[in-house]
Amino acid sequence: MASTAVDPAHGNEPGRSQRAVAKGGRPGTGQLSLVALTKRFGTFTAVDAIDVEIPSGGFFSLLGPSGCGKTTTLRMIAGFEEPTSGQVLLDGQDIVRTPPSKRPVNTVFQSYALFPHLRVFDNVAFGLRRAGVAKDEVTRRVGEALELVQLSGFARRKPSQLSGGQQQRVALARALVLKPAVLLLDEPLGALDAKLRRQLQVELKQLQAQVGITFVYVTHDQEEALTMSDRIAVINHGRIEQAASPKDLYEEPANAFVADFLGVSNLMDAAVSGPASVGARVSLSDSFTVDVTRGDVGLRGPVKIVIRPERINVEPADSQGSNRVPGLISNIVYLGSSLQLAIQLASGHAVTAMVPNTGEEAASAWAPGMLVSCHLPPGALRILASDHAGPGQADPALAGTAADLSPGNQG
Amino acid sequence: MRPVGRLGSAGLTIYFWLFVVFLFAPLAVLLIFSVNSSPTPTLPLSGFSTHWFHEAFSNTVLTNALVRSVFIALVAAVIATALGIMASLGLMALRGRSLSMALTLLLLPLVVPYICLAVGLLILVEVLGSGPSLIAVVLGHCVIVLPFAILVIMPRLRSLDPAMNEAALDLGASSFAALRLITLPLLAPALVSSGIICFVTSFDEFAIASFLAPSGQPTYPVFLYASARTPALLPEVIAVGALIIAGSLLLVVLAEGGRRWAERRLVGLTASPEAAVSTAVSDQQAVPVAMLND
Repeated sequence: MASTAVDPAHGNEPGRSQRAVAKGGRPGTGQLSLVALTKRFGTFTAVDAIDVEIPSGGFFSLLGPSGCGKTTTLRMIAGFEEPTSGQVLLDGQDIVRTPPSKRPVNTVFQSYALFPHLRVFDNVAFGLRRAGVAKDEVTRRVGEALELVQLSGFARRKPSQLSGGQQQRVALARALVLKPAVLLLDEPLGALDAKLRRQLQVELKQLQAQVGITFVYVTHDQEEALTMSDRIAVINHGRIEQAASPKDLYEEPANAFVADFLGVSNLMDAAVSGPASVGARVSLSDSFTVDVTRGDVGLRGPVKIVIRPERINVEPADSQGSNRVPGLISNIVYLGSSLQLAIQLASGHAVTAMVPNTGEEAASAWAPGMLVSCHLPPGALRILASDHAGPGQADPALAGTAADLSPGNQG
Repeated sequence: MRPVGRLGSAGLTIYFWLFVVFLFAPLAVLLIFSVNSSPTPTLPLSGFSTHWFHEAFSNTVLTNALVRSVFIALVAAVIATALGIMASLGLMALRGRSLSMALTLLLLPLVVPYICLAVGLLILVEVLGSGPSLIAVVLGHCVIVLPFAILVIMPRLRSLDPAMNEAALDLGASSFAALRLITLPLLAPALVSSGIICFVTSFDEFAIASFLAPSGQPTYPVFLYASARTPALLPEVIAVGALIIAGSLLLVVLAEGGRRWAERRLVGLTASPEAAVSTAVSDQQAVPVAMLND
């Protein structure tokens, strides 16, 4: 597992007023390792021998579609599920046999799970009282925790008297007040509306930096993961597809699933026909061939090639040169700062291209039904193994090409 | 869109009021004759009197039977509700076939005629050598009211967010502390309902009590049955009947008030136990079948 150098420094800045709340964020603690962690429910393998290094003091996201095993992984870290095999190492100690109540790990639940019969104060004080903390200190620490989440005036309310966003903050305060080594968050923003989500994403990230506690965040929302995380593990079918920084995931997706899951990206079925002067020569269809210099250029046979919408250069139909495929604009969406063009390529692929809106002329230069030439720069195209079937449609025009090539000679 | 015409509507109205009369006429008759001065319940009414209430409460055999029944019903309600909590918690861990088997077993007393249970229990206490006793009545009543407790408590427990218990554990509570501080307070409305249903069912029960109560220590229904055939006692019995009706009404009002109060304290929980209570009370036969098919 390649572990990039993590920068926990932002969690250790002295002089923050709220540092007192979160002594749990000591540098060098809260380092989690999942070792060959496996969970089976009957014959169904929810989590399949995953290995993950979660660095101390960082914001780590488990990202994947629903049912991919990310929540099960989180529940094994919290102690609500017992792994079928494998280890959960917290600062080097295996905590698999430790009951949830004894783990220095706290959870913010998707439903918040606030205790409806207790006031906000008593909700936040719950863990401290269980730990036998003295009354004065309970009052002080609950006050600090509520201040941290900007809910100081709400201590006497019942959870039902709070908005969704406020409930979410109470859940956060209730977990953070115990100064855990690791804070687990199970899609905590899932129930909130889009605007509040974005606001809380920023706040949550700031809060994490402030307290310096390791956050493990489960989400199916790639934008959320990219916005907040220091590091993301993309999970599918109980396996880690790729674990990397947001930038690396976005720029260097390891496979078609990751490229597809991380957002709008054009995935095209293609076949590598041989080496080019640099990189590989790829057939998009019988009559269109492009050179590709990035990705797994050593692959041969059926592959996926991927290009980001903003990297496609849309040119007038008469432009000449290599790596160009003619196409027809089928639709245009005006996005303000850019135009999103849906283009049907002559190779049979449908792609999306982003054209910056540089002014009046740019906005009116294109129209639906217009013939164009799409320049796909070799350096913007990536070859990915096609064994992970993403939603990229199989292309009838390509079927003949793919059938000619033996699937056995990949890699 | 009127589903019925004018005639049909009038017919339904008449049907409704006939139904109300059918339900409440016996209760009304009891209330009216309880304050009738004549020693025989016959028309025309002879005059207002509270005489029979005084008579009833100076009859120690009657009051002893009443106190005995209240006491038995209280104990049975507390024990059955406690067992119901435990059974429901246990049932939560089961799925599929094992769940329906366990439920069938626990709810079986609902569909077994009480008279059969009574005979069986009598043989059992004779075999054990203890013979009829009030303790045997309490235990017998626990058997028959436990299904009601489970039918009231389990739906409430299921409606609770499982994350609630996990959150308590996550925050450092032991399993017992999580039960005491989180699950039980959230179950409170169901526990109140369960207690009332179990109390009323036990208080009302005749077959088991008549077999298992030692002679000379009848429960109230057993005493009532014996004395209803003694014309001299009838006015007293009617007076006590009227009091019990009034008491039941008060209990229902108080319970509903208490339940609303508890619900207000727990606002944010979606499920209400009303449905469970009404089904459990109104239809003994249909409920277990529905539950078993669940």
